[in-house]
Amino acid sequence: MNAIEPASAAQLAPPPVLHVEGLSVSYRTGERVATPIRGLDLTLRAGEIVGLIGETGSGKSTLALALLGLVRSPGRIVSGKLLFGGRDLLAMPPDERRAVRGRDIAIIVQNPRASLNPLLRIGRQIGYVYRSRAHSSAAETRRQTIELLREVGINDPERRVDAYAHELSGGMAQRALIAMALASRPKLLVADEPTSGLDVTIQAQFLDQMWQTVQHSGSAALLIAKEVGIIANYCDRVLVLHEGRIAEDQPVRAFFRAPLHPYSRAVLALQRDGAAKLSGVAMAAGATTRPLISANGLSKHFPVRNSAKVVQAVSDVTLDIWPGETLGLVGESGSGKTTVGRCFVRLTETTAGHIVYHGRDLERLSGSELRQARAKLQIVLQDPFDSLNPRWTVAELLGEPFRIHTKLGRAERRQRAADLLKVVDLEADLLDRRPRGLGAGAMQRLNIARALATKPDFIVLDEPTSVLSPSAIVSLVALLRRIQVEFGVSYLFISHDLTTVRYLCHRVAVMYLGQIVETGAVEQVFARPRHPYARALLSAHLDPDPANRRVDRRSDEQLKGEIPSPIDLPVGCYLASRCPHVLPRCGEQPQNLVPLADGRSVRCWRVATGDLTGDALTGPLV
Amino acid sequence: MGRYIVKRVAVGLVQLIGLTVAVFFLIRLLPADPASRLVGMNPSREAYEQARHQLGLDQPLLTQLGAYLGLSSSGPGLLEGDFGTSWVTSSPVGSEIATYLPVTLELVTISFLIAFLVSVPIGMVGALNPGGRSDKAVFVYGLFAGSQPEFWWGLLFVYVFFFALGWAPAPLGSLSPMTSPPPSVTGFLTIDSLLAGQPDVFVEALQHLVLPVATLVFVLSGPIVKMVRQNMARALRADFVLYANCAGLPPARVARYALRAAMAPSMTLIGILYGFMLGGAVLVENVFSLPGIGQYAVRAVLAYDYPAIQGVVLVITALSLVVYLGIDLIHAAIDPRIVH
Ligand SMILES: Nc1ncnc2c1ncn2[C@@H]1O[C@H](COP(=O)(O)OP(=O)(O)OP(=O)(O)O)[C@@H](O)[C@H]1O
Ligand code: SF4
Ligand SMILES: [Mg+2]
Repeated sequence: MNAIEPASAAQLAPPPVLHVEGLSVSYRTGERVATPIRGLDLTLRAGEIVGLIGETGSGKSTLALALLGLVRSPGRIVSGKLLFGGRDLLAMPPDERRAVRGRDIAIIVQNPRASLNPLLRIGRQIGYVYRSRAHSSAAETRRQTIELLREVGINDPERRVDAYAHELSGGMAQRALIAMALASRPKLLVADEPTSGLDVTIQAQFLDQMWQTVQHSGSAALLIAKEVGIIANYCDRVLVLHEGRIAEDQPVRAFFRAPLHPYSRAVLALQRDGAAKLSGVAMAAGATTRPLISANGLSKHFPVRNSAKVVQAVSDVTLDIWPGETLGLVGESGSGKTTVGRCFVRLTETTAGHIVYHGRDLERLSGSELRQARAKLQIVLQDPFDSLNPRWTVAELLGEPFRIHTKLGRAERRQRAADLLKVVDLEADLLDRRPRGLGAGAMQRLNIARALATKPDFIVLDEPTSVLSPSAIVSLVALLRRIQVEFGVSYLFISHDLTTVRYLCHRVAVMYLGQIVETGAVEQVFARPRHPYARALLSAHLDPDPANRRVDRRSDEQLKGEIPSPIDLPVGCYLASRCPHVLPRCGEQPQNLVPLADGRSVRCWRVATGDLTGDALTGPLV
Repeated sequence: MGRYIVKRVAVGLVQLIGLTVAVFFLIRLLPADPASRLVGMNPSREAYEQARHQLGLDQPLLTQLGAYLGLSSSGPGLLEGDFGTSWVTSSPVGSEIATYLPVTLELVTISFLIAFLVSVPIGMVGALNPGGRSDKAVFVYGLFAGSQPEFWWGLLFVYVFFFALGWAPAPLGSLSPMTSPPPSVTGFLTIDSLLAGQPDVFVEALQHLVLPVATLVFVLSGPIVKMVRQNMARALRADFVLYANCAGLPPARVARYALRAAMAPSMTLIGILYGFMLGGAVLVENVFSLPGIGQYAVRAVLAYDYPAIQGVVLVITALSLVVYLGIDLIHAAIDPRIVH
């Protein structure tokens, strides 16, 4: 069973776990042959976590699979050696290679849910993997499987072991895969964007766990990531994949200090330029006494099919948005951010509470007043491709609001459309094109231009940056700020991207399970969050700064487990099941949003009574 | 699950009633005159009118529909399970269908079982070695088998195996004309002969089924193989199969993962094909002179025998609905994502 202990003469560098020589992988589709990996060399050593970055399509996922000797069809490993413990994986008989895969090399893939067999209970699947390595009885396998699930932090593993993949959240599916991967204490762990699509607090849980595993077992890990924040916080060494080879190989600190490859420089510069270009939002201070729009005691429940129960998407949200202000709304998926945004522009009817606009309750407006108000309240949705009819030309798309709300003629509408294009920095020759061929950044600009057509004073931006590339995000944020200064609009900016919120917003509200748990000025909340959930959320945010790594600081902000279902919510504090500071009283008494002396409000009695002080988070967040 | 079945059956009944009414009106929209067909050439005015009266065609359409459904006082109707009386043979449509339908069911069911058993492994092998020799052979076979309609293959088989080689019995029905059939219990010759304790009749029935079944299997296998191969190839490309390989599962286990995933969509298509073949086997029945429901339907249509046409449409549709329901239940048993 025991693998060969490499007799390394010089104990200077840890022994290599995997040594790759001249690896090439190609895909053949019809006549075309693409070779994303071309003669790649690579060494992974025991006890280190190596980060791998590269442009999309550069072959990172292809490489990850190839390290196990596998490719997606119609690909083929054309040449190369994969020396694992001194033996070439590619030259082994298939049975042995399979044994190595199961036992010594494990992989965690980009898309956890699709990687689980949808037709089998996860316990069965984990059991098959377990039994392919160790002979054990069915009962013993089941016990072990439950134990594994418990180890990776799945609540109630006795029940989950019988769940199917579609019954798991993305986070739980990922944990099930981790359970399989870690089951045999592999010597090499390959993780291909293991946290893409996960919420940040879950991402932090996973990466912390992986880090600990590698530290304790002396295995090696290759971590593929898009965000340099992850690389900076968890990796010892950074590799850059470019044109099918490792184009840069540096220790993590050196990499962030002096990146060598042009791609690395571009990636890092983007983050820094972005920060420089965007820092310092000043609010256009005016003498206003009344909020532009507010939500008072807003609640929204959705019925559950075949059940008398309801999903409490939003409960008792009260928010003011002042003229010319940007309010950031942050929180993990399912926390109710989008529903709040939709209630503000009355795309969704509220269950309880009111939206007050210019001092008047939107529900009380007459038909024509409501139509006028609607024109002034706009929303830009998450997916720019969904919200634009692909059969219309840009001129038609941008002219439509004028057709609905004004009596302008065709030529005038076209002129207005051209003006709007200019506002959002798009070329006028787009007018007669259809949006199909445009990139996500340009599409999102079109959406914003369309929202601006009716000269709104309030725009809800629902995750407008989530499908954009980093450079497109930077320029979109700059555009939004310019528009705000020029037209004096207020934004409700919904995002889970904390960096962008930090750049763009004046105030921020943190949501958890439909409630606002903390709200205050951006500097206040980001520098020293008070509510335990806000603290966990913000400390899970990873800065691209290897000098201040999350793994080096003491972290008591970690939350346990998963977000509970919004159907059966607890009586007391919604965070009680996950909170590191929970006391018995928390579970008994509903929590209210209590204003603190420094101007913010927090929904936690321990904070309100001064019991929980909460240090400033170490290091700057941006 | 039980509630789901009840709901499906209820919906099915509503569909059947809707279909009955639709068919009822549609055939009466045809520019056909069943009465004149019944009384023959150059009938007298009275004879013609009398025939119309007998058939009830002189009544308003709604009255006719009421009588057919059994809503009027004229006697039992469809709602009591009475399909009416054939205008041509004057015997109850229900019992006629009960003699013709089992012949077709026997033929089609046996053909499907065999086609399925043959096609699934072939499709799997093709998917496991795409572009391999067996894969190419299957492709060519599919093209070849699909190139001619089934009655043509049937005729060719008759020519080769009966006429030239003499291996198969004459294509003159389900049994040789000399043999007297066993007493009808289920209507299925193979079953009834065994029930009657007549193994020689059973063997003879099987011999007579060989060529028609072979014809259908020959024609059906092409599309089924293609479908299984496609679904299997898709399943093999799925992420969870790749991941099973990553986790080092044995190849047999991985193949079973993929097969199960490929089976679910294949079942649905096979169910639809089965429902289609219940009516579509008529060409093969014709070639082999099998007294199946297809033959019955053709005769009914040619004779403008309205009650018979309605009965056949209704029964075939009801059968198809039952088959679809069965397939959906199997599908749900395979795939936990389907909740009823
Ligand atoms: N199954 C496949 N068939 C054909 N070509 C493929 C296949 N998988 C990947 N490729 C091609 O290989 C190249 C590398 O793809 P790969 O998915 O490895 O890149 P990546 O760096 O992981 O990208 P991303 O950052 O988007 O995850 C791309 O040009 C891609 O189009
Ligand atoms: S009320 Fe209690 S459980 Fe809730 S956040 Fe505060 S300390 Fe944690
Ligand atoms: Mg990838």
